Order: sequence, then C-alpha cells, then structure tokens
Amino acid sequence: MMNEMCTTPGQLELLYQLFASATHDASAVMCRWTNGLITLSLDEVREIPLESVCSEVDVEDELLTMVVLCLEGEIGGEMILTFDNTNGRQLAAALLGQEVGTSDEWSDLEKSALTETGNILGCAYMNALTRLINTELMPSAPYFVQDYGASVLQQALMTQAMTSDQALICRTGFHREGEEVNWRVFFVPTMEMRSAMERALSTASLKKAAHPQDSSERKECVPDGQHDEGSQNDAH
Amino acid sequence: MVLSTVLRAKTDKHVGMGQIALGCGHTRLTAVLGSCVAVTMHSPKHQIGILAHVILAQSSGRNSPPGKFADTAIPEMLRMMENAQVPKSEIIARLAGGANIFGRTGPLQIGKANIEAITELLEEAGIPVKAQDVGGNKGRRVSLDCQTGSLTIEMAGSPARVLQ
Repeated sequence: MMNEMCTTPGQLELLYQLFASATHDASAVMCRWTNGLITLSLDEVREIPLESVCSEVDVEDELLTMVVLCLEGEIGGEMILTFDNTNGRQLAAALLGQEVGTSDEWSDLEKSALTETGNILGCAYMNALTRLINTELMPSAPYFVQDYGASVLQQALMTQAMTSDQALICRTGFHREGEEVNWRVFFVPTMEMRSAMERALSTASLKKAAHPQDSSERKECVPDGQHDEGSQNDAH
Repeated sequence: MVLSTVLRAKTDKHVGMGQIALGCGHTRLTAVLGSCVAVTMHSPKHQIGILAHVILAQSSGRNSPPGKFADTAIPEMLRMMENAQVPKSEIIARLAGGANIFGRTGPLQIGKANIEAITELLEEAGIPVKAQDVGGNKGRRVSLDCQTGSLTIEMAGSPARVLQ
C-alpha cells in the first residue's frame, strides 16, 4: 500500500497539540461572536484509511448544511463547517436575533450569518497554522453548500488521496451553553500542508528534546519567536 | 404481508472510497459520491452486480487498493465477474458521479478526468455503457440493485432518478 505519509504517533500528538491550540483560539473567537453561547473543543486528529474515513468521522449520507473555506495554493487545505439543517438554522437565528426560519429555502441573511461564522473560525485556524509553518496562507471566500456530507468531505480529501491511502483529518465539536450540539469542523490539509506541518513539528520536537525544561506549555510545537498570545484577535 | 416484506427486503452494502463490492439477487450496493465515480457492472442473466468507488483516474504503478484508480478498478471488476462465472459478453456498465463540488476551474478537474478515463477503459474492454449520470456540482447517493442492474441516483434538492 502507498502510505507514504503515514504519520507517527509522536507527530500525531504534536499535531493534536497544534490543533488544540488553534481550537482554543477559535473557541475564544466563537464565544465572543455568539455572546458566550458557543464554544469549541477538539475531538480528534486522526489518520484514517480512505475507504472508511466517512463512516469513522460519522459523515455519511446525511444531507448537511456546510460552509467550506479553502486555503488555496499547494500548502493549503479545506475547512468544512457542518450542521444538520435544524442546528444550522438555530445558529443563524441566534446570531441574527431572529426566530428560527421555517421556509424550505434559507434566506440570504441566514446564509450570510453561517458563512461569516465559517470565516471567523477559518481565520482562527489559519492564524495558528501560519504561526506553525511560517508561510503565508491564502484563504478563499467561504461558501455555503447544502449536500451530502460524505460528498463534500471526499472532495476535500482528493489531494491527500493522490499520494496516500490514509487521510489526516482534524475534527472539532461544538458546545452550546455546555451541551454538545451536532455541528462539526473538519480540517483536511493538502499533502504539502501535511509535509510542512510535519517538518515544522519535527523541528519543534528537536528543540523540545534539546530544551526539555521548556516543554511544559502546549504551544511548544510552535517555532520560536512566533507565539502570539493575542492571536484570537487576529481573526477579525 | 409482513413476512413477505421481510423476505423481499434488500440487503444494503456500503462501498467506501476505493473499494469494490460484488453482490447478487436482493443485494443493493450503495455509495456516496463527490468527484469520485461509481462504476457499476451487471449481468441481467446472472443477476450479479458489482460497484467500484473510483477516486482517481491513473494509478501510475502505485500499489493501492485496486478500486482506488480507474486503470486498476476496471480490470479487477472484470476479474471478479469472471470468477463469478459471468461471461464478459453479458456485462453492462452504468456510471454516476464525477462532480466538481467546489466549482474549481483549474487544469486539474478530478471528476472529469475520472469519467474520461473510465469511459475509455470500458470502451477498450468492450463493455457497453448503458446509462450514466455524471458531472455537475452536486454530490450523489447511488444504489445499485444487483437483481435488476438499475442504478438509483439521489441528489440534494432533486427527485431520485433511476438509470435502467
């Protein structure tokens, strides 16, 4: 099998730390965006065989409402924010201070509220990735799509599929006033992004091994001089 | 009445990315597709069907599951049908998928490349394509009835279609 990019458990742990840091930033931004209503937590960073990826992350033939944001260029990826229809409309209504929409078609305002949410989360993740790999990332405008979750996730996996039989996925869950809700964020890096992240993490690991007294903070995987404690503000 | 329904119930088998599955009689093979393509083959006489969930067009010699690439999936499907005692002359193909969900306009159009490669390979193998539902910018949920060979296609916001 062609698992050229099989990630070691140590690298996965470092990636987990990276995305936990990014999720923390995104959660702070989301909390402000929703007036304290919504927070995020990192569910998992996993490498999964392509044939079972959709069932493993529980995105199959359900029709979902999604906001997709692409990091364009070779070092890129896709971020997919997913909701079931009911939860998506509830979030849009909460953000707009309106009653939950009941018509079959989403209004432009509802779409815009979700798209902006995707934009804010995407920027928070992008800021964390930029700090890690020290490369400028080019986000696309987020766009709204209603389709089978598996169809969209598969499309995002294409660049990884070209060189690997495994997919690396970061999955984040949402909580509304402490209760878990059926919303998810998936980040699917391109192979070049995976390589860049793993190179940066290897460097960070070597530094960590050389200076173990500095290794207690979770952001140690971020290259020196690129910490930014106020990073959650970058998303705006 | 209830017993009759139970006896007639179809058994669904989901075919994941890069997988190939063969079924017969009441089996129904399902897949959810974006730019991937479902290649189905069916023998009306034997009531045997097979579905490959093809991800990309060319393997370029890479050692992956055969269903992942068009150029390895089609020969593997024909081999599996041969093992099931289905003569090649009885095989009919149907295709679905190959969408461009993210609306990308660059030179690399994965769905289009998949469809072109599969069509060419089936033509070279002498397998007729009876029907297809490909392209566009929407995902598809497909279901192959191994008894009849019909391929049911569902898309968000559209009524289901059946390729007979």
